[in-house]
Amino acid sequence: MSTPNSNFYKKDIVPVSIFALIFLTMPLWFSWIGGYGGLDTKIVIWVIFAVGFDLLLGYMGYLSFGHAAFFGTSAYVTGLMLLHYSDNIIPAFFMGVLAAVIMALIIGQLTLKRSGIYFSILTLAFGEMLHSLVLSTLQDWTGGDNGLTGLPTPMLFDLKMQGHNVYYLAVFIAIIMYYLARRIVRSPFGLMLSAIKTNPTRLEYTGVNVARYKLAGFVISAAYAGVAGALMIIYEPYVASEFMGWHLSGQVVIMSVIGGIGTLFGPMIGAAFMLYFENVASVALGGAWLLVLGLIFMFIVIFLPGGFVEAGRKVRARFFGGAS
Amino acid sequence: MVNSIFLQILTGLQLGAIYVLISLGLSLIFGTLGVVNFAHGAMYMLAAYLGVVISAAWGWEIAIVLVPAILFCLGLIMERGLIRHFYTRPHTDQILVTFGLAIVVQEALKWYFGANNLPYPTPDWGSGIARLHEVLPFLDGFVAYPKWRLIVTGVSLVTVAALFALLQFTTFGLVVRAGMRDAEMLRFLGINISKRFAIVFAVGVMIAGIAGVFGGPVTQVDPGVGMVFLVPSFLVVVIGGMGSLPGAVLASFLIGLAISFSADIPALANIIIYLIAIVILLFRPRGLMGQKGVME
Repeated sequence: MSTPNSNFYKKDIVPVSIFALIFLTMPLWFSWIGGYGGLDTKIVIWVIFAVGFDLLLGYMGYLSFGHAAFFGTSAYVTGLMLLHYSDNIIPAFFMGVLAAVIMALIIGQLTLKRSGIYFSILTLAFGEMLHSLVLSTLQDWTGGDNGLTGLPTPMLFDLKMQGHNVYYLAVFIAIIMYYLARRIVRSPFGLMLSAIKTNPTRLEYTGVNVARYKLAGFVISAAYAGVAGALMIIYEPYVASEFMGWHLSGQVVIMSVIGGIGTLFGPMIGAAFMLYFENVASVALGGAWLLVLGLIFMFIVIFLPGGFVEAGRKVRARFFGGAS
Repeated sequence: MVNSIFLQILTGLQLGAIYVLISLGLSLIFGTLGVVNFAHGAMYMLAAYLGVVISAAWGWEIAIVLVPAILFCLGLIMERGLIRHFYTRPHTDQILVTFGLAIVVQEALKWYFGANNLPYPTPDWGSGIARLHEVLPFLDGFVAYPKWRLIVTGVSLVTVAALFALLQFTTFGLVVRAGMRDAEMLRFLGINISKRFAIVFAVGVMIAGIAGVFGGPVTQVDPGVGMVFLVPSFLVVVIGGMGSLPGAVLASFLIGLAISFSADIPALANIIIYLIAIVILLFRPRGLMGQKGVME
């Protein structure tokens, strides 16, 4: 399996190149469709978050309602590092992601031993525990409700991390993360994750240590959330307490499901759609845009469980014959 | 000393009284239908909003009768129109659709009523304070407690008792309890279990409605309150044992008392409920009164 042949790598070259091309050229055409500068960076960050979330939900079949815990932990640690240690983003970024991974190890130990339903409930609960800690017990460190303010401009050595600099940094990291996700999914390890989704009991009987694979899948997914959280602070040096809240966890759930889970690119489309929709629809609908989004989400869950990706497949099958 | 301990116990019971009503419905629905209802907090919130509107328009007495009745009907519609189609779908889909419903209810309320806390005055007969030292001789000096909080606790205890009586002493309850244990066997016996389970779902939502209409004045009435109560209620269900009704009652009051007694240390009071849940998960994964093998 692991003998690399050229064919094996070729499978990744085309999709990753398309991905890179779209995002590297995005600043050129994004304003034509009504996007503002900065929204593109946010989309890239959320795309990273959604890809990692899909590894957990789409491939392993575990629905987390507490992924804000990892996004937020990383965001706060990144912010605190920038504030108290150095305005260089490299130590801040790595400490942020490391903190998210450690948090995932702890929460994973507590939540993963039970079934899927239990997992959803408990991730929501522990996510809210961290949210309430940030707002109350730890508020001397986190700034409580006001968030962590007064961060310096993040620097990459002598380069100010603003505007296009942040954008291209985020795209560079996103390309790597997307490539890694594709490799993970097709690796023996990824196969194990899919097997956990299909039949964990049978997998256990074949002598596989399922608990360890589950924890590994969970931690990897949390690391993606951590990368996204750290980048969010580098993009906009302010840590909002909402970064820990269930709303953020709910957002990544909604965008992944709308796009189509278990495909990696579905959640990316979902992320881009949701941020773009927020930007466009909040002008037309005001505060009701979230209501509309909720209705779209319910419609998709009820009638189109595969999301946009399934819709695309259906359309293709109808007009060009033969399902792909 | 006696006074402060007594008041802390009373506050604990009152906090637990709201949790118990929400988590009983959750546990009942999970135990019978195997569905985790993420929209249950939203149902509580909806009932509180209906309580505000109806009590202002037609008076409190009408609201007390009408709101639970409306919620019962909503529960029936929700089960027959939506949840029923999800029994054969994966658990994640059930969670997603109820979560979607919770978002829709919350955003609709926010859109219509605004994001601010609505004032929800208690009725005349429930306002003011009760002088407890006149009734209870073991208290010394002056001991008063808000009357409405006593009423909430009382209503909650009566509702719990009524639910247990329904399940324990009626034929309907017998069938439902049998269905919780082995739904397939009951179907073989030719009993229309799905009709009864729809009623169970509606009863669960109705109990959340009772919690909303009585609990609203004590807590808050804003679009975030559904989630604020859903999370502790989930933990109550986890601590008590998934699908165990006595467990939900025990865990609710345990948590209420724990919050009340740790109130002097705010850093602890905010997370005590999570700490209890962590301890339970580590040392007794099935919950205090959970059956062996269920969701362990």
